[in-house]
Amino acid sequence: MATPMRVRAALVAAATGLALTGCAGLTPAKNDTQSGSDVVLRVQGMPAPTDTAALAQFKRLVQDFQAKNPGITVEGTENRWDPLTFSAKLAGKTIEDVIQVPLTEPQGLIARKHVQPITDQLKQWTHYQEFNPQVLQPLSDSAGQVYGIPQAPFAQGLVYNRKLFTQAGLDPDRPPATWDEVRAAAKQISAKTGKAGFVHESKGNTGGWQLTMLTYAHGGSMETEQGGKFVAAVNDASTKKSLELLKAMRWTDNSMGQNQLTDQDDVVKQFAAGQIGMFMGTPGTYKLAKTKFAMKDTADYGVTSLPQAGGNATLGGAEVFMVPASVPKEKVDAAVQWLLFAQAEAQYEPAVAAERAKELAKDPKAAVGVPTLPMFSTAQQDKINAAIKPYVNVELGHFKPWLDGTPKLTLKPEPPVGAQKLYTILDTVVQSVLTKRDANVDALLAKAQADADKMLAAEQK
Amino acid sequence: MTALLERPATTEPVVVASRRRQAGLRRELLGLLFLAPALVVFGIFSWWPILRGLLISFQQTNLVDPVVWVGLENFQAVLSDPLVGKAMANTLLFVGLGLVIGFPAPIVLAAVMSTVRRFAGVYRVVVYLPVVVPPVVAILLWKWFYDPGTGLFNQLLGLVGLGPYPWLQSPQTAMLSLVLEATWAGMGGAALIYLAAMTGVPAELYEAAESDGAGIWRRIWHVMLPQLRPVIGLLLLLQLIGTIQVFTEPYIFTQGGPDGATLTVLLLIFRYAFQDGQYGQAAALSVLLAIVLAVLSAVYLRLTRSWSTK
Repeated sequence: MATPMRVRAALVAAATGLALTGCAGLTPAKNDTQSGSDVVLRVQGMPAPTDTAALAQFKRLVQDFQAKNPGITVEGTENRWDPLTFSAKLAGKTIEDVIQVPLTEPQGLIARKHVQPITDQLKQWTHYQEFNPQVLQPLSDSAGQVYGIPQAPFAQGLVYNRKLFTQAGLDPDRPPATWDEVRAAAKQISAKTGKAGFVHESKGNTGGWQLTMLTYAHGGSMETEQGGKFVAAVNDASTKKSLELLKAMRWTDNSMGQNQLTDQDDVVKQFAAGQIGMFMGTPGTYKLAKTKFAMKDTADYGVTSLPQAGGNATLGGAEVFMVPASVPKEKVDAAVQWLLFAQAEAQYEPAVAAERAKELAKDPKAAVGVPTLPMFSTAQQDKINAAIKPYVNVELGHFKPWLDGTPKLTLKPEPPVGAQKLYTILDTVVQSVLTKRDANVDALLAKAQADADKMLAAEQK
Repeated sequence: MTALLERPATTEPVVVASRRRQAGLRRELLGLLFLAPALVVFGIFSWWPILRGLLISFQQTNLVDPVVWVGLENFQAVLSDPLVGKAMANTLLFVGLGLVIGFPAPIVLAAVMSTVRRFAGVYRVVVYLPVVVPPVVAILLWKWFYDPGTGLFNQLLGLVGLGPYPWLQSPQTAMLSLVLEATWAGMGGAALIYLAAMTGVPAELYEAAESDGAGIWRRIWHVMLPQLRPVIGLLLLLQLIGTIQVFTEPYIFTQGGPDGATLTVLLLIFRYAFQDGQYGQAAALSVLLAIVLAVLSAVYLRLTRSWSTK
């Protein structure tokens, strides 16, 4: 007798509870694919309110796009790809239809099938065949399917503080071209100014990432293909030389400052404050230093192509826009249309590029005309550069060493399998070298090789 | 029922019993109604995720495609990962240092505060203030304190000819640095709880001990601490559970570095899930951690039950 009553009571209580806790909010959101006849497209990459000029431009882009594409409504969000929330939003199907990710992430996202190919949609664009293949390579899988569109593609170089160069008695117009010269310059900057001559990132996978570019400059690779599968190649002479160089700069020359646990934001922040002489980075860090970390005297910013030590190569870098795997097929077309309109056209059509540069240049805080790698052909990029020239507000001459040197280098992609996991393994190696005076490079590399091989075997099961 | 049938044939007691039963049911129903919102919230935000986590530990999933059941593969992968051993050792080091440094600190602080008569309120506010500061803000502040070049600690120590010390930059001192910050951030709450417990100790006990010739240390050891046993036991258990789950400090301060010296179990779980996309392995390690915590709690409660009720 009592049991049914309890069950009833529990049901009543649960129903009341549901009503009290407002469980209507737990009902899955209405499918926003169709709102009337409109496709509602939620896109990441909307500038923050503090970036007034860029935000105004974004809003106008949305209006123009909607006018040209009736039936598509674009809703911008300020979000960027965030590892903390991405999985949950993906699983809950609340992730935006277009996501903005750093170039270190696409290969992992592709391998985990978290994003979907957009090759078919891209091929419908007239200029698809003109894309610079080097730019699309890091966004493609081994079958050649393309998964994203980059915004301002870059090659890694060496960012340096021209003022510290001058104070140290170095010529800022003749930045280091080899790693021996980097070591000597770092030592001189450190001795003459008391600032860190050179800083190498080390945490959050950036240690492994930067060691990869340093290894490329020394002629090595992080992974090689053997019998159709990739194996680790970290325990070789190039990586060893790279680490020995870091060890010598850190412990013999004492030219790397005192803070050895850094990621890109830490480094750019210190650089913007005039505390760092050199670091490996792209010209994109100019915008970061100026708009995010309020670098006062941007004339101090200089960048050159990645110094070499026999490798004649560098690593690519960019922000990339991709379409998550959870986005329904009928919205993918609209997403790619938006990406072509908002990203690709401005990097192909000189008139569009000029119009957007003019609008952006109204805000002195904006960085207009930071040089990039050509997203299409060099000739097309020259047309773009000529069109935006009147509105450029960055010191173009200070990017010249990068512009002159980078075309002579091979642009190598990130390690093709498990890049992020490999970087995690290598982070530890870099941290050991930078924080332990007696670090044994041979032993560290032997362990890293074993760990990386194990990881790669698991990844390619 | 049998008892009722054997009673004399009068309906009055049956009616009374029935009314009582109905009243009891009404009370239960009312209780359930009040409980319902909390039950629903717990169910949705705690119990269901726990159940999902358990299921995911036996699955391979990218959260988009259909799941694949993989049996114990995730557990095998986790247990063969050399980082798991390192993360466990680091976590135990954090727990150990927390017990040595962080556990006695609020007791001492509370004991000192209990003797203060003037501006007692001010001291309590000051002691509790770090608890009010959001953890991320506090950690970022301490990150600057620890800066080897321009940080506050090295600047202050430099005034007396000490240092500079590497703090977070050295595998030898990084974990200790994390524990110091965590102690500063967490001891305010515990100190106030101890203070409240101390003020509850009858003054006659101290007076009796004093008249028997007990000094300050004997009064603390033989009077105060025995009276605080239940509170100490509870806070010790809470600290153990809390420190084993340490995440925010290593994540923001060092991201597990340098050289893996601050890689904790929770940080490794985070890496599995959010860096590597290995949700199954992350869930498997979480389940293992939960089992360890459950066993630890059970053992601890068993060991301390008699002690705390003496």
